[in-house]
Amino acid sequence: MSLKNDLTLGLLKENPVLRLMIGLCPVLAVSNNAINALGMSLAVAFVLILSNFVVAAIRKVVPDDIRIPIFIIVISTFVTIIDYTMQAFTPELYAALGVFVPLIVVNCIILGRAEAFAYRAPVLNSVLDGVGMSLGFGLALVTIGVVRELLGSGSLFGWQLFNGAAAATIMILPPGAFITIGLLMAGLNKLENKVL
Amino acid sequence: MQKIIKLSLTLFVFCVLAGGSLAGIYLLTAPLIERNTRLAYENSVKEVVPNGAGRAVLVAPRGYGGQIEMIVGISTSGEVLGVKVLKQKETPGLGSAITKMSFLQQFIGKSLKDRLAPKEDIDTITGATISTRAVCDGIKQALKAQP
Repeated sequence: MSLKNDLTLGLLKENPVLRLMIGLCPVLAVSNNAINALGMSLAVAFVLILSNFVVAAIRKVVPDDIRIPIFIIVISTFVTIIDYTMQAFTPELYAALGVFVPLIVVNCIILGRAEAFAYRAPVLNSVLDGVGMSLGFGLALVTIGVVRELLGSGSLFGWQLFNGAAAATIMILPPGAFITIGLLMAGLNKLENKVL
Repeated sequence: MQKIIKLSLTLFVFCVLAGGSLAGIYLLTAPLIERNTRLAYENSVKEVVPNGAGRAVLVAPRGYGGQIEMIVGISTSGEVLGVKVLKQKETPGLGSAITKMSFLQQFIGKSLKDRLAPKEDIDTITGATISTRAVCDGIKQALKAQP
């Protein structure tokens, strides 16, 4: 496994949302517009990279039998620290991303990567895996967000492009998320043999 | 037996480390967070009572997705000066439009003499009648609140 491979795997081939199909709950919830999608992606990237780093660093002292509870302690501690720090030092950023931070705890991508990758790999590889997986998560989430916002509200990143009354409201409601994710997965499967 | 003790001790150490760092971070950030919250509140008061003449009332009418926390600025003569939604859980993309200035602007200048009724003197947000009505209720509540 090369370092480059660890970095790029998460983008398309093992895209956490569209290929591994983990972390779908926050994806459904916050992809109703592109700004929310971008905010969630940034928050996840922050926690995922740091948690991969710590899990890889402590993996030699963590006994196999209790690794999961220890991962959960590490992740929830990180999420809480980030939550407090953002509130204290970057209130503007917290006002924009704050709602997503507690949601990260229930994002199984973080625990998934700790268990599947960081626990078995050196620190550098794990950090790169975190970066790649975050990029893949962000790519999928923002794509879904753009499609749903454009079709459902007639806007893009908050900019009104056409009259919202003409838009398909269903796209910003939960069914729109399922439809968009399903079509993206199908598209990626179709392309599988050509580009991946 | 020895294994169980070793595992418990390891977990214990991790919990102590996590708890300790959380306590540290909390002590460090709590005063700053409190200050930020106060500043944010003072700023929104300034926003709804622009020139300082009047009062700001906090109301939380029941919307479609729970309570809508909003702050209403009221002039000394009992007219709405400004409205800001602080917290809401309305349907994203539909009811969440109650936070937009273009919607809230229409309440400025209204008083208890107005009907404050959706579809009469208030433009309803398409597909969000309940959210619109909730904001109207909140404004009425704030106007009725004794100074």
